[in-house]
Amino acid sequence: MPNSINKGLIGKEFPPFVVTIERGKIKEFARAIGDDNPAYLDDRVGEASEWGDIIAPPTFMTTFREAAGDGGEFLRELGTDISRLLHGEQEFEMHRPIRPGETFVCRSRVTDIYEKTGRSGAMGFVVRETAVTDRANEIVATIRSITVVRL
Amino acid sequence: MKYARTYLDDVKVGDELPPVVKGPLQQIQLTRYAGASGDFNPIHQDHEFAKAAGMNDVFAHGMLSMGFVGQLVTDWAGAGNVRKLGVRFAGIVRLKDTITCRGRVLGKSKDLVDLEIWAENQRGEKVVTGKATVTLPPRG
Repeated sequence: MPNSINKGLIGKEFPPFVVTIERGKIKEFARAIGDDNPAYLDDRVGEASEWGDIIAPPTFMTTFREAAGDGGEFLRELGTDISRLLHGEQEFEMHRPIRPGETFVCRSRVTDIYEKTGRSGAMGFVVRETAVTDRANEIVATIRSITVVRL
Repeated sequence: MKYARTYLDDVKVGDELPPVVKGPLQQIQLTRYAGASGDFNPIHQDHEFAKAAGMNDVFAHGMLSMGFVGQLVTDWAGAGNVRKLGVRFAGIVRLKDTITCRGRVLGKSKDLVDLEIWAENQRGEKVVTGKATVTLPPRG
């Protein structure tokens, strides 16, 4: 494995992609966490709620990924592969909950790449930010993540 | 009672959230989470792959643990009331680990409440640390 990552990718913007929220995926996701909150699982509870439908759990936007790719190409450009990755940090800033049937556009870019040497050796850090907007082009959420690459 | 409404007026700095306990974690939950989240990194599923990557054994998706602390927050604040949820993954969560999620109120302003949140394993080691901001309704 190389002992550095490609910092030339700072500022890289990924092609925007569209996601549509599926009712069954919200329920599958909540159940996978073991969260049986009726606000996610019970259509009648959702309908009677202030949101008018079930909503997604706060971490659901982690499912927002481009169906077309597995991210392998980006990892090759970085100079690593999936077996070297750890999740460093994650943040969701949400302006409102999301519901089934909604369609969003996701725009991701690499905001920083840096290296540090710690107790477990040399590590690369890839910082990405995704803006999620709705059909009215209003910002719904900002997703920030740091991926750690074991060098 | 679970999902009791929490009102802004009743919240004080230093209040602790009722803990959420998950586990012991089993492989089937990691497999289920892979399917639900779309994260099929074999390092969470395939013992041989994880071993070859120098990780001893498969380990849980960080996002699964974040889902647990998300539940900690929404069980207390109400689903739909989270405005910000941010964590650092401080330690690896392994099979058979039991994860306890905890939180406390850091601050309060207008209709927003800031929380310190974390998750620890059965040895008391922190595996997730972070912060959340929720919006809470006033009483009456």
